[in-house]
Amino acid sequence: MTEADVILVIVIGTALAFDFTNGFHDTANVVATSISTRAMSPRIAVTYAAILNFAGAFISLEVAATVAKDVVVGDVITPTIVFAGLIGAIAWNLATWFFGLPSSSSHALIGGVVGSALAAVGSEAVLSDGVIGKVLVPALIAPMVAFIVGGIAIVVCYRVVGRQRPGPVTRGFRLGQVVSGGMLALAHGTNDAQKTMGIIALALVANGSLDSSADPPFWVIISAATAIALGTYSGGWRIIKTMGTRIIKMDAAQGFSAQGAGSAVILASSHFGYPLSTTHVISGAVMGAGAGKRVSAVRWGVAGNMIVAWILTFPMAAAIGAITYGVTQIFGDGAVGPVLIAGAGIVLTVMAFIRRARSPVPA
Amino acid sequence: MSLLAQIVDWSALGQTVIAAFLGGVGIAFAFSLGILGAARLTDSSRELGLIGTIGYGTLTAAGMLATLAAIVFGIVVMTSG
Repeated sequence: MTEADVILVIVIGTALAFDFTNGFHDTANVVATSISTRAMSPRIAVTYAAILNFAGAFISLEVAATVAKDVVVGDVITPTIVFAGLIGAIAWNLATWFFGLPSSSSHALIGGVVGSALAAVGSEAVLSDGVIGKVLVPALIAPMVAFIVGGIAIVVCYRVVGRQRPGPVTRGFRLGQVVSGGMLALAHGTNDAQKTMGIIALALVANGSLDSSADPPFWVIISAATAIALGTYSGGWRIIKTMGTRIIKMDAAQGFSAQGAGSAVILASSHFGYPLSTTHVISGAVMGAGAGKRVSAVRWGVAGNMIVAWILTFPMAAAIGAITYGVTQIFGDGAVGPVLIAGAGIVLTVMAFIRRARSPVPA
Repeated sequence: MSLLAQIVDWSALGQTVIAAFLGGVGIAFAFSLGILGAARLTDSSRELGLIGTIGYGTLTAAGMLATLAAIVFGIVVMTSG
């Protein structure tokens, strides 16, 4: 095994670790509304979401193509650059998980890779048209669309069923949430698992193991699907708490509207290859479903903290990616730097999990 | 502004917004109609009479079928992309 192969194996392992944290971190997006309205028990909701996340990963490859081909120039990217970008994304994901903030795994991933590419090669390595046109502009528009669709959807629901007795209506919307939650999990698997597929494909192209115009191989698709499903099953209970109860107190109709709006936005975006943040979309939809009932029902302070985390995600992941690349270069171009950083990353991650396991989820 | 117009595929983005709007609001409307029909059937089945029962039964079935059709259509569009 050559040194380049060692780096490639570390990159693939790190990409799958990112995919796991993506599922772990974003479980909240998928299940929080179903759990908070008691449409499903937590364990059943998480298992259901994991299965549909796995299935969703096989639906499309449009987003994977965008991540692999439209963000950075494949010809100048090395596996070490991809590795540094992944470390930037994982570090930001774990930091926001540690504080219970639902930030975007997608923007962390793309920010990390852009940051490490800038540090390694310079601005000519970044396809700014792709980053702006396929990532940043959709990133701004998608949560607003989800907010508006979620808001209108809940108004429609209340108008149609408003005069009925709450009991059957609540039971009906809880049943609907089983379906809308499933759609959301499928949409999440479709959009988010593809980002890891795209990153692994980028590393394979950089290593000369895959043609730059080829789709990700099947083993990449199935391993990314498995990693995100396992991460989802593990569950990120802190963020579930924030998403499910701390933004708005949700009823079943609001949960259904938010999940339906979120699924529609994510599935439509995946179809056109936009790697948007499922976190931003479902948060926007939850806020819209809250504001559609009553504007003051939304806890705007919590929403404000989340928006700050969103704004910081891209630059912070980019900065960590750039610094990580710089650190790897201290040890030369070989595998020593990535091996040492991957080892340090594992130790820090275990420490963070132990520390968090000792403290209760905040109310 | 003209730079953004060149970089961003506004047509695809516009189609995404329209599809998301129709899907999100359409499913909410169809499913709510289904719930309305089911709620009326369970709460006042004795007062409705035959025509009312058939009417609300049809509304329930139509609402649920429209919801199901929208979901299947969404998945078909996704897999065909």
